[in-house]
Amino acid sequence: MDASGGQRDCYHCGEPLPAAPVRAPAGAGWQAFCCTGCAAAAAWIADADLDGYYRLRSAAAARVGAEPLDLSFWDREEVLAEHSRAVPGGREIVVLTDGMRCAACAWLIDRALMRDDARLDSSANAVTGRIRIAWDPARAPLSRLLRTLATLGYRPYLPSSRAHEQARLAERKRWLIRLGIAGLGAMQAMMLAEALYLDFDSTMPAATRDFFRWLTFLLSTPVVFYAGWPFLSGAWRELRQRHVGMDTLIAGSTLLAYVASVVETIRGGPHVWYDAAVMFVFLLLAARMLEQRARNIATAQVDALARARPAFATRERDGGIETVPVSALAVDDTVRVASGEAVPADGVLLEGEADLEEALLTGESHPVRKRAGNALYAGTVCRERPARLRVTGTGAATRLSQLAQLVEQAQAHRPPLARMADRIGHRFVAALLLSSLGVYGFWQFHDPSRAFEVTLAWLVISCPCALSLSVPAALATAHGALARIGVLATRPLALDTLARATDVVFDKTGTLTGDALALRQLETFGGFDRAMALRIAAALERDSRHPAAAAFAGFDDGAPAQDARSVPGHGIEGTIDGVRWRLGRGEFAGGPAGGEGLWLGRDGTAAVARFELAEQLRPQAAGMLARLRAQGLSVHLCSGDALAPVQRLGHQLGIDAIRARQTPEDKLAYVRALQAQGRVVAMIGDGLNDAPVLAGADVSLAMARGASLAQRAADLVMTGDTLMRIPQAVALARRTRRVIGQNLGWALAYNVVALPLAAAGLVTPWVAALGMAASSLTVTLNALRLARREREDAVIA
Amino acid sequence: MNILLLLIPISLMLLGAAVWAFVWAVRKGQFDDLDTPALDVLDDDPPRARDRPLRGPSDAD
Repeated sequence: MDASGGQRDCYHCGEPLPAAPVRAPAGAGWQAFCCTGCAAAAAWIADADLDGYYRLRSAAAARVGAEPLDLSFWDREEVLAEHSRAVPGGREIVVLTDGMRCAACAWLIDRALMRDDARLDSSANAVTGRIRIAWDPARAPLSRLLRTLATLGYRPYLPSSRAHEQARLAERKRWLIRLGIAGLGAMQAMMLAEALYLDFDSTMPAATRDFFRWLTFLLSTPVVFYAGWPFLSGAWRELRQRHVGMDTLIAGSTLLAYVASVVETIRGGPHVWYDAAVMFVFLLLAARMLEQRARNIATAQVDALARARPAFATRERDGGIETVPVSALAVDDTVRVASGEAVPADGVLLEGEADLEEALLTGESHPVRKRAGNALYAGTVCRERPARLRVTGTGAATRLSQLAQLVEQAQAHRPPLARMADRIGHRFVAALLLSSLGVYGFWQFHDPSRAFEVTLAWLVISCPCALSLSVPAALATAHGALARIGVLATRPLALDTLARATDVVFDKTGTLTGDALALRQLETFGGFDRAMALRIAAALERDSRHPAAAAFAGFDDGAPAQDARSVPGHGIEGTIDGVRWRLGRGEFAGGPAGGEGLWLGRDGTAAVARFELAEQLRPQAAGMLARLRAQGLSVHLCSGDALAPVQRLGHQLGIDAIRARQTPEDKLAYVRALQAQGRVVAMIGDGLNDAPVLAGADVSLAMARGASLAQRAADLVMTGDTLMRIPQAVALARRTRRVIGQNLGWALAYNVVALPLAAAGLVTPWVAALGMAASSLTVTLNALRLARREREDAVIA
Repeated sequence: MNILLLLIPISLMLLGAAVWAFVWAVRKGQFDDLDTPALDVLDDDPPRARDRPLRGPSDAD
């Protein structure tokens, strides 16, 4: 690391640096990068004079990676016809991207597009991960603009569907308008209510008073029924399910205050409480929006289905080919898939061989070789060469859809522990409603004229303003802090359960180990020089994209390998210093047939060396496990691989609880067994084979480069490869839990003090409302500490 | 107190205008992204003059 001046993380994406980092000038002086992609991105940013990005950003960028991206798809007429629309001077399209982490990303995208002369107009939204581009097709194809984005690490995807998109946007706007109406209405209603309250000696003429009351009635009606509609409908739903919850309490007290005020207004009684009703709706609406906002950001970024769906397929029909939407495919159609495209439906490979990248299903980024007759799955990506297949299943019948269903089922059957918090809430609500009846009954008996007012003050005081704010405010802050360390929480209870976790179950491949292989053992025959063997292997593997190449990269001294070619299914051969070498399977390189490991042979006859390769541990795996153990968590390893490598890895990391050769069902059973012992299990994995267990565990975390479906099944998704995020997230979750506890404690203590006073009739509703506001402010400020403490941590780390 | 008969309709009209303006702003997407525009003002220097046209890194390598 000396070479990079003590720098340990990539300058661009913040991921740990590999053993041989890429060095390039950026910012002030030379910087180290994890891959050529990140270096190119930083160089582009410097070249475009957009260095401001590094100052402005509040979250690290996404790893760019070195894999080239085929963007020609975006220039196809069918795609443009379906997904873009004509605007004056050109066309406009909305694309989805996965790398936007903070507002600075949106800023960078906007500026980067601005440098292209074909761009007419663009806007990027970091909240939804959407980029709107208007461009002039006469000047440049869309792919040129998108290539700029891709080189910066923002891969474009087609949004799932325009209708879905519109619905989501409309929903968000409806909520905003509700909040606005509630805020403005509450302000006006409060103003008039203050005038009524300040009339201490009842000197106001009855006519003016009634005029004010009717005005307040007019103002609060839309607030209660339009802005407060989510609570009213929620309460109705809860009542129908005989399941009393927060919404019932909120709607109950709002309606009580409102209806009672209307009755008093008509009757000309001494008091109205419109202000309590409207303030209540406004504050709770704001709290609910705060909480949802943070989660929506996370889910928008993990919009996995959008990434999984190829939009068009090329079908053979009557000797010709035609492009049809995927939905038009039927069983027994013959479909062509160009290299770099996703397979549109499940099918059988018709002829030859094909390399399919099944990352979506398995999380494994290395292509799998398929032969004629083998099954191909929808959503996998065809590499190197085109393929022809006969469709066997479409739409809901594809393996992809079935797995998605499995995930949804597993999610629906979460262990009951996860709903504990919910249940406690219900008891509280039920107790509160019952005791309010008691208070009313007592005052009815004691002093009927004040019974109603006292009950209302009692409800307003108890009413969980602070109580209901205490959790959302803490969660919103925590979600923000979590996103800054690179973990997105997509489900409401994820943080709470993570804080309570007692056991962590790891999947092996892709989680604790990386994709690249490392040399574990080298054996030479006939006194062949070991360094020489490594040098030759490195030269042969140099340009292959096989995972084994990484194992030899460190030994490469630049010796040229002439006419190196790969023999599919066997290995690589090439000429070095006039000698023909073969590297690959035993029989191919001149070793024994079926011999284990990777063999190197001269002229394909005499084997001179044998390499044993093993998966490489991720850089921070050991440190992460140590911290998790320090946090009191027991660690388990559950892998689908053979026993020997899993045991070796477990031994290396000091993990005793090891399970090898596990099918997804086995893993789920293992987790269920742990849960049956009363443990709270956190599962960390990346493949689709992990998806059911990710969904079935109490809380689950999916890796950044894992299968999209696994991310969809998980409660938390990591945005980068840094494993240290896991213990950080656990620590943050525990701190959040503590803050929530403090907030609840404060809110309850406030209630305990104030409720007897209210029950005794010493508090008027407006004093209750004031106390409530002060109490709410306290819990909100306490929740904000989560963000501050997080920053201190970052400085220490 | 007759002044109230003037002031209250005015305040109601202002409220109506505020609600209309808010709904208009939401519909126009003014609240869609609250973070990015805040950054725009922080770094708004015109780009330096350059002696060669900007090229994508993909063209360069």
